[in-house]
Amino acid sequence: MNNRDLLDLCFRNLFRRRARTLLAVIGVVVGTCAIVVMMSIGYGLTANFQEQIESYGNLHLIQVSSNGNNGVANQDDLKGIINDKTLKTMSEIKGVDAVTPIISEYMTVAVGKKVTQTEFVGIDADVLEKFNYEVSEGRMLKATDKNGVLFGNNVPMWFYNPNKNDWSEEPEKVVGEKLVITADWEYGMKKKSSDSDKIQYPEFKGKGIGVLAAENDESAYRVYMNMADLEEIIAANKKARKDNSSSTNSRLGKTYDQAWVYVGEIADVEDVIKVLKEDMGYYTYSPTDWLNAMQDTANMIQAVLGGIGGISLFVAALGITNTMIMSIYERTKEIGVMKVIGANLKDIRKMFLIEAGLIGFGGGVIGLILSYLISFLMNTVLINVMGSFLSELGGYGSSVSIIPWYVALGALAFATFVGVAAGYGPARRAMNLSALESLRNE
Amino acid sequence: MKQETTAQGKPLIRVEHVRKVYRMGEEKVVALDDVSLSIYKGEIVCFLGTSGSGKSTFLNMVAGLEKPTRGEIYIGDIPIHKLDEERVTLFRQKNIGFIFQAYHLLPMLTALENVSLPLIFRGVDKKQREKTARAMMKAVGLEGYEKRKPSQMSGGQQQRVGIARALVGTPKIIFADEPTGNLDSNTTREVMQLIVDQVKSHGQTLILVTHDRTIADYADKVVTIQDGNIIKIQQNTSDVESTLNEN
Ligand SMILES: Nc1ncnc2c1ncn2[C@@H]1O[C@H](COP(=O)(O)OP(=O)(O)O)[C@@H](O)[C@H]1O
Ligand SMILES: [Mg+2]
Repeated sequence: MNNRDLLDLCFRNLFRRRARTLLAVIGVVVGTCAIVVMMSIGYGLTANFQEQIESYGNLHLIQVSSNGNNGVANQDDLKGIINDKTLKTMSEIKGVDAVTPIISEYMTVAVGKKVTQTEFVGIDADVLEKFNYEVSEGRMLKATDKNGVLFGNNVPMWFYNPNKNDWSEEPEKVVGEKLVITADWEYGMKKKSSDSDKIQYPEFKGKGIGVLAAENDESAYRVYMNMADLEEIIAANKKARKDNSSSTNSRLGKTYDQAWVYVGEIADVEDVIKVLKEDMGYYTYSPTDWLNAMQDTANMIQAVLGGIGGISLFVAALGITNTMIMSIYERTKEIGVMKVIGANLKDIRKMFLIEAGLIGFGGGVIGLILSYLISFLMNTVLINVMGSFLSELGGYGSSVSIIPWYVALGALAFATFVGVAAGYGPARRAMNLSALESLRNE
Repeated sequence: MKQETTAQGKPLIRVEHVRKVYRMGEEKVVALDDVSLSIYKGEIVCFLGTSGSGKSTFLNMVAGLEKPTRGEIYIGDIPIHKLDEERVTLFRQKNIGFIFQAYHLLPMLTALENVSLPLIFRGVDKKQREKTARAMMKAVGLEGYEKRKPSQMSGGQQQRVGIARALVGTPKIIFADEPTGNLDSNTTREVMQLIVDQVKSHGQTLILVTHDRTIADYADKVVTIQDGNIIKIQQNTSDVESTLNEN
């Protein structure tokens, strides 16, 4: 028998007993719906957790701090020390895309009459782009930009006139503007404190290069400069403060307090942190520290919800088996006739398997459509009605229920598989039915 | 037991010392005792006997639907008694047509589809098999009934569909177990004439089982069975027409 005829025959058999077929299909619809909707809530929760954590910072970024033991430890122990040699070692860890040492200084930046105080971060301009930052205005920082300043997305909004009380909402135009950079907190004020011991910090001329695109992390609250430029400024500030400590050490070369490590795949972050902490002796900070605990919770909730769905699909499988067995009793004589006039045994088995599979597949398709509908309603109607309740469940983000395409496909495949599996026993029974026996009982 | 009078070379069907015993708990039922018989190509053979004499058992064993307790059955050179179910089904698909007393049409299929069924099982494509099936329906006088469901047809019409189904694949052998058992006498005559005409015109071999003596008149050879044994084999000398006139 060719497949088209087989399929045609199966459809007719199913449509012959519409009510009963429908009942079996409804079972699968409910089962599929239960699994998909339950899992979609789990995925919604996970996505919300992720959103929440991303707001804590860039998930790809690990901030590394030295252990503060520069020069104290024995001769060739580089544990916990950030210098050129260990930076290279970091960049060679599997999964690491880029590494840069970080220096920072909290200073005032002024454009025209307006000022703001912010953290200046000195960075290697060549690796900045590797950290996946993009500009929304102007351009990226280049190594040749002498005293060029790249602004975090929120910084331009914070400029104010120190002599007036006007906090405008409008972000200050900084790209292409001349800037003044100084550690003097009172820069631009007409009325300065009268303290005579006040340190006389130098003022530096700078230039606005660009503004970073909005990122939901701390990069939005900083400004960036070339490492070498910021080093000069810091050195001058130290001199003004009469501070003699040096970050250069004869044995270790130049050392840094901090470095950033960028990991391409979020999945690798955990492993990289482990190497940095346990093998290399650094302190690390990454938003993924939070993620794991939350992920565990989300996984558990999802497993429980998915399990409930699974049980209902199992019940649906019993429904299919029952339908097929009833169908065999009813069609015993037909099966006998088909065998006597020459239907291949395998075709008879296939017929029942396909019928059961079709119930599973059909139920799966309808179940999926219904799931998407329910998911849509949950994300639109329910989210408003039950807003506060959902936020307690971790409904921080924009959607309660998310159905990834692979869950949809997987559920469909599973429903079909359940159908075929449920039909397997009955199909064998039909195949092994004695043709004579089935014709005799009239 | 009488020996056949006309041996036409090698027999098509050879049944040798076949015995069939059914066991029902403690009790044994000997359905066939010891049956040997040869059937030749193109013959119309009628098995005549009272109910329970073992006719259907004989037919079913030759068709490979059940295995003899003892003895051998050959169709051509093929040992039917030895084939497993899968092979014997395939053999039936290619070589055997079946006509049932209760017609046994599939209710969800139209007349045309019922007739096409053996071709569907063989995997013949739709266009070709419908052409063949239409021609077959015309041959049994059911032109115009192609789209009817079995439930919308009379017994005689249903049996014509059954006959068309049995013949559509031009099998070598056709088995008919009480084909007119459910029909009135007029329809019986029409249906029997149809079967015999079709079988004769294609040179097919027909094995017919009945308890009705008048049906035996359509056969070339009448085998009388009693209590699981052949008690008489009779060659019909008169042709069918003259037999009919005598009735
Ligand atoms: N499956 C079976 N189990 C037990 N006894 C059977 C079975 N089939 C047939 N018989 C018995 O075998 C004998 C012959 O039956 P059968 O060949 O059907 O007779 P006929 O077709 O001539 O009426 C009967 O006594 C019947 O009861
Ligand atoms: Mg019988």
